[in-house]
Amino acid sequence: MISIVLRQLGVFLITFFILSVLAFSLAYLFPGDPISNTSGVLMNHPHYEAVAQARGFDQGLLGQYLAYMQHLFQLNWGVSLQDGASIWHEFKVRFPASLELSVLAMGLALLIGPPLGILAAIHYNKPIDQVISFLSISGYSIPVFWFAQLSILFFAVLLGWLPIAGQVNPLFDVPLATGSVLLDIAISDMPYRGTALLNALQHMLLPVVILATVPLVLLIRLTRNACIEVQRMSFVQGAYARGLSSFSVLQKHIIPNAMQRVTPSVSTAFSLLMTNTLIIEIIFSWPGLGQWFVRSIYERDYPVIQTALLLLTVLILFVNMMTNIYYVWRYPRVRRELNATR
Amino acid sequence: MRHDELYYEERNPSPLTQAWLDFKVQPLARAALYMLCFLLFISLFGPWLAPFGANEQFADALFLPPAWSNDGDLRFLLGTDTLGRDMISRILHGARYSFGLPLLIVCITGAIGITIGAMVAMSVGVASMSFQHILSALLSIPSLLLALIIIAVIGPGLFNAALAISLIFIPQFILVTRDVVLEELSKDYVVASRLNGVTSTYLFFSVILPNIVKPLVTQFSLALSAAILDIAALGFLGLGAQAPVPEWGAMLAVSLEYAYNTPWVMALPGLALFLTLGSVNIVGERLRATLRARMEH
Repeated sequence: MISIVLRQLGVFLITFFILSVLAFSLAYLFPGDPISNTSGVLMNHPHYEAVAQARGFDQGLLGQYLAYMQHLFQLNWGVSLQDGASIWHEFKVRFPASLELSVLAMGLALLIGPPLGILAAIHYNKPIDQVISFLSISGYSIPVFWFAQLSILFFAVLLGWLPIAGQVNPLFDVPLATGSVLLDIAISDMPYRGTALLNALQHMLLPVVILATVPLVLLIRLTRNACIEVQRMSFVQGAYARGLSSFSVLQKHIIPNAMQRVTPSVSTAFSLLMTNTLIIEIIFSWPGLGQWFVRSIYERDYPVIQTALLLLTVLILFVNMMTNIYYVWRYPRVRRELNATR
Repeated sequence: MRHDELYYEERNPSPLTQAWLDFKVQPLARAALYMLCFLLFISLFGPWLAPFGANEQFADALFLPPAWSNDGDLRFLLGTDTLGRDMISRILHGARYSFGLPLLIVCITGAIGITIGAMVAMSVGVASMSFQHILSALLSIPSLLLALIIIAVIGPGLFNAALAISLIFIPQFILVTRDVVLEELSKDYVVASRLNGVTSTYLFFSVILPNIVKPLVTQFSLALSAAILDIAALGFLGLGAQAPVPEWGAMLAVSLEYAYNTPWVMALPGLALFLTLGSVNIVGERLRATLRARMEH
C-alpha cells in the first residue's frame, strides 16, 4: 500500500513539475515582456527593476525557473495586469466559491447517480431501464451552456421561481470573509441570517443541478453497465443457487463488485465537472475560479492566466491522485494486481 | 444428431453487415444513423440548400418568430434573429463549422495518431511504464481546459480552436493505439503468426488491426463527441468562432442577450447541437455494443 501511495505521489510530483515548467514558459510564449507577463508589473513601474531582480531575470533560465517556483510556494503570485489586484488575494476568495459549487454538484451526482444506475440494471431492458437510459444519454448529449440557458429561461424568467444569476441578493450585503457564500453568511453576525441563507440556497440551486447533470449521467451509465456485467458472472449465479434472496445478492455481491469498476471513473466525472464549472460560472455570474480564468483570457491578463491554469490543472490532478489512492486502498484485489502478488 | 447438420457451419456476418442488422432492429439507433447521414449531407451541401446567405440581412424582418406563429413570415421558416438574418440559413451554413469541422479534425488526428501509435508499439516494443503513467495523468486533464491553454497562447479564432483541439487529440489517439497494440502483441495468435514468419506490415494490418477495431472505434466516437462539444463551447465562450460566423456555439453566445425576447434564436442552434451530439453518442454506443457482442461471440 505504501509503495503504491509513493508511486502515485511520484507521478503527481512529476506531472506537477511538467505543468510548472509549462506555466513558467508561458511567460515567454505570451507576447510581450516576460517579466510583466509573470509578475504583472509593467515596465514603467518604479519597482520594475527590483521585481526583475527578485524573479532572477538577471540569471539564466534555470535561475528564473527556481525563482518562479520560490515565488509560487511563497504565495507571491504577482498582480493582475488589468486592475493590479494581488492574484493570491483574488484566488483566496474565488477558490471557495468554486469549491462550494463543485462539491455540492459532485455530492448530488454521487448521491443519486449510482442508485439510479443500479435501479436501471435490475430492470434491465424493462421500461424503467429504457427511461433511465434514454434520460442519461440525452443528459450526456445536451450542451451544458444551452441547458443552462434553457433552465434560466424556464425556471427564472417564465416561472419566476428562482433568481437568474449571482450568489445572493446584493441587498443582504454579506461581508466577504471566506468567499463561500454559505460559510460567509453562517459566520457573519448580520441580521436576517436565516432569510439570507435561504436566498443564497435559491441562487445556488440552478447552477448546482445543472453542473451535476454531466457527472450524474456518466455515473448512471457506468454503474448500469458495470452492474449488468457483474450480474452475468458465475459467482452471482452461485449466490442465487445457494438460495440467497435477490436483495441480499444485490447488496452483498453485485453492488460491491460493480462499484469497484465505477470508482476509478469518479475522477473523470470530476474533471468533466470542472470544465463545465468554467462555463456555468460565466452564465450565472458566479464569482469563482472559472469565471476568473475565462475573463483573464478575454482580457489577456497573462499573470492571471499563468496562475489560474496551473491551479486548475493541479486541482484536477490532485483529485485524480486521491481517487486512485482511495481505489487501491478500498479494493485489495486491485492492490494485489498492481503489486503483482497474488 | 441429424445427418444434414454434419457440415453445419456457423454463419458469421461481416462486421458491417452485423452492425447494419443491429441498427435495423433499434429504431432509435437507426434514426440517429440517418440523422448523422443528414448532417454529413448538409455540412457538405448546406450553403447550396440554404435559401439565403448566412449573413444576409433583411431590415424589414427583424425579430420574426417562426413561420407558424401569428407574427411569422413564410419566407423565414424558422424566424429571423435580432439583425434580421434567416435562422434556417444560418443553421444550414453552420453545420459545416459545428459538425463538418470536428469530423474532419477527428479523422485527420485519428489517422496521424493511430499511425504513430502503431509504429511506436510495433518498433520499440515495451517502452517505459512510468512515461505512460505520466502521459495518461496529463491527458486526464479535460480537453476543453487544454484547448483553453493553447488558445491563451495562440489567441482566439476558429482556426486556432481547431488547431488546439487537434493538438490534444493526437496524443490521445497515440496512447490508445499504443496500449491496445501492445496488449495484443503478447497474445498467442500474434505469436503464432510471428512464428509463421509474416512481415510486420502484414502482422499489423491483417492480424492485429481487425482485433483492435473496437477500442479504436470507441476512441473515435468519444473524440468526435468531445470535438463537437469543445468547438461549440469555445465558440460560446467567444474564444473559437467569432461573431458573424454561423457556428452554433457562437450563435448561442450572441443569443444570450436577447434570449428573453426572442427565445427561438437561442433554442434553434442549441437544439441542432443537442441532436448532433445525441446522434453521435447513440450511434457510438450502438457500434460499441455490436462490436462487443461480436468479440464475445
